[in-house]
Amino acid sequence: MVTAGTVAAPYILPTGRMFARTNAPKAEYVVMVMFAGGVRQQESVLQRYLDDSQEVTGAAGNIMPNLFTGIAPDRKIVYGTDPGGGATRGSEPIPRILSQSMEDTGAVFKEMSAISAGHYVGLNTLITGSLGTAQGLKTRPKYPTIFEYLRKHAGFAALDTWFIANGLGNSTPLLNSSKNEDYGLQYGGNMFAAPYTFGGVGREILGNGKPYSRADLDPMYFMKNFLDQSFGLNPNQLETIKNTDEEKTKIKEFIRAVFQRQDQGLIPRPPVSDNGDAVTISYAAEVLRHFKPKFLTLNMSAVDGCHSNFTGYLRSLHRADHSVGWLWNYIQNNIPEMSGKTIMIIAPECGRNLNPNPILDENDWYAYDHSDANAMRVWSVMVGKNVPKISVGSEGNKVGKLTDIVPTIADIFGVYDEVKASPYLDPQSKSLFLRM
Amino acid sequence: MHNSGKNITAAFVMTMLLIAGCTKEKNVTFGVNDKVVYEDKSLKTKRKSDAEYISILYTNLYQVPISPNQLYKTQNVIYSIGDRNVANEMVLSNYFNTSTLKIPKDSEMRADVAAFVEKCYKRFFLRYPSEGEKTFFINYINSNPNVSVEMVYTAFSVSDEYQYY
Repeated sequence: MVTAGTVAAPYILPTGRMFARTNAPKAEYVVMVMFAGGVRQQESVLQRYLDDSQEVTGAAGNIMPNLFTGIAPDRKIVYGTDPGGGATRGSEPIPRILSQSMEDTGAVFKEMSAISAGHYVGLNTLITGSLGTAQGLKTRPKYPTIFEYLRKHAGFAALDTWFIANGLGNSTPLLNSSKNEDYGLQYGGNMFAAPYTFGGVGREILGNGKPYSRADLDPMYFMKNFLDQSFGLNPNQLETIKNTDEEKTKIKEFIRAVFQRQDQGLIPRPPVSDNGDAVTISYAAEVLRHFKPKFLTLNMSAVDGCHSNFTGYLRSLHRADHSVGWLWNYIQNNIPEMSGKTIMIIAPECGRNLNPNPILDENDWYAYDHSDANAMRVWSVMVGKNVPKISVGSEGNKVGKLTDIVPTIADIFGVYDEVKASPYLDPQSKSLFLRM
Repeated sequence: MHNSGKNITAAFVMTMLLIAGCTKEKNVTFGVNDKVVYEDKSLKTKRKSDAEYISILYTNLYQVPISPNQLYKTQNVIYSIGDRNVANEMVLSNYFNTSTLKIPKDSEMRADVAAFVEKCYKRFFLRYPSEGEKTFFINYINSNPNVSVEMVYTAFSVSDEYQYY
């Protein structure tokens, strides 16, 4: 088993500070997928499909073939694509992209504890490793995020850390940094709410910009920096994350390049990309391809339609699995710098209720909200470099919690002890590698 | 008899008060000297909201207000990018790619750099430049013939001070 105790050689941070890694890094890159917006154990890791939700006996099976190993249901298939010709809507499952499921090659924590049954607190849990159940909407995380930990303790540059949000709603664009006095925006990660930045409105507002040359930009930044020095903003007055002039130029070039690649039809997409999650994943792939960031996290949310449409939820869950499988495959086959050097971590931010609400969908199936103890049940999948094939925990035997994800990432990058020493982290959290 | 005396005294006092109260008021007109009030950068501690920043910037550059729809869309696009400075710079470069901007010509800037610098500070920062600031810009513009009005305006528009009031 891989452990987090090895002491590696010291190295010097970009800031010039001598710094000893607390443990040997396990991988060079991490991609974290905040999976989907409230997923029931029953239809995902437990593979019960309609058996456990709509009382359709004999309709169990795995609808997430890229993440989990198991036979697909053979009754009442509605989660796939539409074959047309009068066949049942959604009756054609999307073929698995990966040659082996992630469960077959990596670690699955089958029964973990969420910290909250709500989205934003759940996302905060994943991104801060803190027990911030009092986190409010429309405010930045109360506690430092993984971006800040990595930039401060591992010396990552702003362009090394990215958050790809799925839209503007639910305060998700604020998750790229806290305003914590010990960390804060100067250590925040870069972020795109990609479907908006690169959608129609983004294109209208940003797409006609002048492509300034270096010779144009240098005087502008020189004069701006003079003005900024003269004004003398304090670090605690920062309201946005900070990139260097060169990093800003690279981001602007990237935005322009994406619009050009859209025109040329070059944006990579999962084979089935008929929902918002697939769009978010596409732009995450673009950021990975272009910047090769050491750490990127993305947020998906389509399954949240389960509040009122169970059939739609099944379709979104199946597509989320498809999109994540596609992204993992894309990294291995299209980004040679990251291939074989990356770990992907996947976890929902919260579960979903045991009992349904009264809303019926097109198949007369009941919908589910997320507010009870079942909504505190989640899973996690980890795959990639140095991740052993292992199954941990089971129904009724919880192992790990969502606050473990941040220390796990710190462990992968070799700054475990420094991050674990943070007073803001859940004191009981620990690297999932130490829970195997 | 006793009461009658008191009444006479009271009537006399009231009459005298009435006469004194009816004195004509003097006609006095107060005036205020004209004074243009400029901001002090040390007092700019409040950050403009995205909506304030965009609408002020747009009005400054186009000399007409931005439409509510355009404001809403621009605000959301800025919110969708983690580094607000990157977003602001891109929005601005789109503005500079339009033909309806109301900005001086480069030749006007070069004709009187000192006046141009002073106007820039007043236009963007609502204050006069300090001697040091003025000297810096005059020297920089004079010694760099490639520096354009667009470059100077961009620097002011995306500066920290312009985002505060």
